[in-house]
Amino acid sequence: MLARISNTKAFHWLGRQLMNRDNPAAWLDPLATTINPMWVQEYTPARVERIIVETNDTKTFVLTPAKRWAGFQAGQHVNICTDVNGIRRTRTFSLSSSPLLWERQGEITLTIKRLPGGLVTNWMHDSLKQGDVIGLTEAFGDFQIPQPAKPALYIAGGSGITPILSQLETMAAENYRASVALLYFVRTQDDVIAREALTALAARWPALSLTIIATHEGKEPRYLKDSDLTPVTGLPVREVYLCGPKGLMDLANDLLSQRGVNEQQIHSTFFAPPAQAQLDGAQLGGDVTFTTSNLKVGSEGDANLLEIAEAAGLQPQHGCRMGICHQCSCRKTSGTVVNRLTGKVSGPGEETVQLCVSVPQGPVVLDV
Amino acid sequence: MKKLNDDQLNELQKDLDAIRDEVLADLGERDANYIRKIIRLHRTLEIGGRVMMPFGFIPPVFVAATASLGIAKILENMEIGHNVMHGQYDWMNDPSLNSQTYEWDTACSSESWRRTHNYEHHTYTNIIGKDRDYGYAVLRLSDEERWKPRHSLQFINYVLLSTLFQWGVGLHELETEKLTRREIRLRDKIPFLKDFARKGGRQAFKDYVFFPLLTLPVAPIVLAGNLGANLIRNLWASTVIFCGHFTQDAETFSEEECEGESKGHWYLRQLTGSSNFTGGKWLHVLSGHLSYQVEHHVFPDLPAHRYPEISEKVQAVCKKHDIPYNTGTFAKQYGTVLSRIARYSLPDSLRTRLEGKRELQAI
Repeated sequence: MLARISNTKAFHWLGRQLMNRDNPAAWLDPLATTINPMWVQEYTPARVERIIVETNDTKTFVLTPAKRWAGFQAGQHVNICTDVNGIRRTRTFSLSSSPLLWERQGEITLTIKRLPGGLVTNWMHDSLKQGDVIGLTEAFGDFQIPQPAKPALYIAGGSGITPILSQLETMAAENYRASVALLYFVRTQDDVIAREALTALAARWPALSLTIIATHEGKEPRYLKDSDLTPVTGLPVREVYLCGPKGLMDLANDLLSQRGVNEQQIHSTFFAPPAQAQLDGAQLGGDVTFTTSNLKVGSEGDANLLEIAEAAGLQPQHGCRMGICHQCSCRKTSGTVVNRLTGKVSGPGEETVQLCVSVPQGPVVLDV
Repeated sequence: MKKLNDDQLNELQKDLDAIRDEVLADLGERDANYIRKIIRLHRTLEIGGRVMMPFGFIPPVFVAATASLGIAKILENMEIGHNVMHGQYDWMNDPSLNSQTYEWDTACSSESWRRTHNYEHHTYTNIIGKDRDYGYAVLRLSDEERWKPRHSLQFINYVLLSTLFQWGVGLHELETEKLTRREIRLRDKIPFLKDFARKGGRQAFKDYVFFPLLTLPVAPIVLAGNLGANLIRNLWASTVIFCGHFTQDAETFSEEECEGESKGHWYLRQLTGSSNFTGGKWLHVLSGHLSYQVEHHVFPDLPAHRYPEISEKVQAVCKKHDIPYNTGTFAKQYGTVLSRIARYSLPDSLRTRLEGKRELQAI
């Protein structure tokens, strides 16, 4: 109800007049956080219902988002935000549950591996408790179940299984007709995430063939090899989904193209900081002018604009630091930047850039 | 002004940077909790004031409602808005506490404030002719400005400025003194005037139209209370701000001595051009910790509630470099401000004669 009113133009106008802010509903957030954090309006609050230990470094967080949350499609991600030691941190995670769980029980799950040195994942493992509330954005991402049903092959590595879990659950529930193969790579058998759920799925849904391969149990590491693809029938007509570490994704891409799988059939998604494009270091760097702050600094190599700004003592708004959440987007008035993820070179004129993945190529002027 | 050579200035800069780095390394949950606590108090007082106001036909309720709303505005302007816009809480990465997007509860738009205050005043502090906050182009407060007959009535201007402070601050960027001297054209100020009309209009609409009309049968009471709350804020804000730079011993500077200055010299100017006042905890909170004006000017982007903690270290640095540290009780400091406004309203010949007499009497 409140959400519906608070989206109207008149409400925003009145909010600007009375509270000097575009989102007047959030004016009461500081009080709401202490009375009932589920009333917060600035983001969608989500309460931690349960925490399930999956492996020794992975936990599944079962969350109840506030009712106004718009839901998601299997394979999508969300940004979560939370304050760690007073600093707002935003991170992207894949939803590991099926949308059906949200529709029926109002719950979603995030399955999160503790990253060595990771600020937010470690905080979630060590400090986030049942009953705590974190912030959520709407879901996004185009890693989606093929419609209409087509034979599919999933190749997952480690915690890259999470968006695939969501899709497999959904496909099983919808009684997806075409055959689906999953090659799931883990370091050791102890690292299998959601083993019970996967075996249960395979048992009740005959279209799924499940293969779990441990890479680090023998003397030599045992990575994806061509013979792993041999049992996958009708490979050239399958839609292929990749989610895992860069090494696995590269290997998979090579083997698949050798077997004649068309590039358009291969879909990848990230679950860790995305691989960076190879940038030619010699051409990078340049003077960066921050007009609002009246500051000009030099930069060298592949330092991105966010790092350059922070090194100069500025504190631009930011989120994920990996080019996903657009919290750090701002206006570039002139200059050329290279997108660190895609390697794409920008135009020279005025446009919006993401500070955290933009590397200057020559002088750049920013409205920061 | 106290003269230091380049080596001494570098040493001063190193000493003050060390204090700054220590605080920066320690920023965290404590600071976040502090500012959110103040914001909660502000919300509570504002809601309390607005809800009580229509019942203001009961005199004690009127007083409570006006005081509640007035204090809410003071907290929002001084401890939240002013400090947030200095970037003191940008490190929190909270979009509602971002220096570039925060908009405060006063007639001056944040954008205009960041230009005239954060940039002009904090960069050119107390440089006569460059720091337009020194006397607000209305008051003559130093003999570096030539006396003119209109200055003799400046005490009235001071009272008017204090009473209408939010509008004075809002119109500060119009630079009327430059307009009358024909240094700039009104045409160039049209974007500013549009911005001022938008923000000033919004503030007037809220306090003087919307809330009174919302409770129509008691509209005059609500209007009076809202006027009162704005007046309380205006008087208090101007008093605190005047105590920051216009006290007896706060120094002024000429453009020549600051040309091409080093960071160390800038620090020295901030230390000698600002003045503190002492008092209880709530006096500091309600002044937005501008009672620690010296610390604020040296470290404008450190969270203000840290100033009391670092004050001793700043005083030790001043002592080491033999730089005066200007402080005193609120009453004493404010007294010297009033005396300065009064004295400089007189022509120099009369003023020096009177001051001479007073000094003789003192001997």
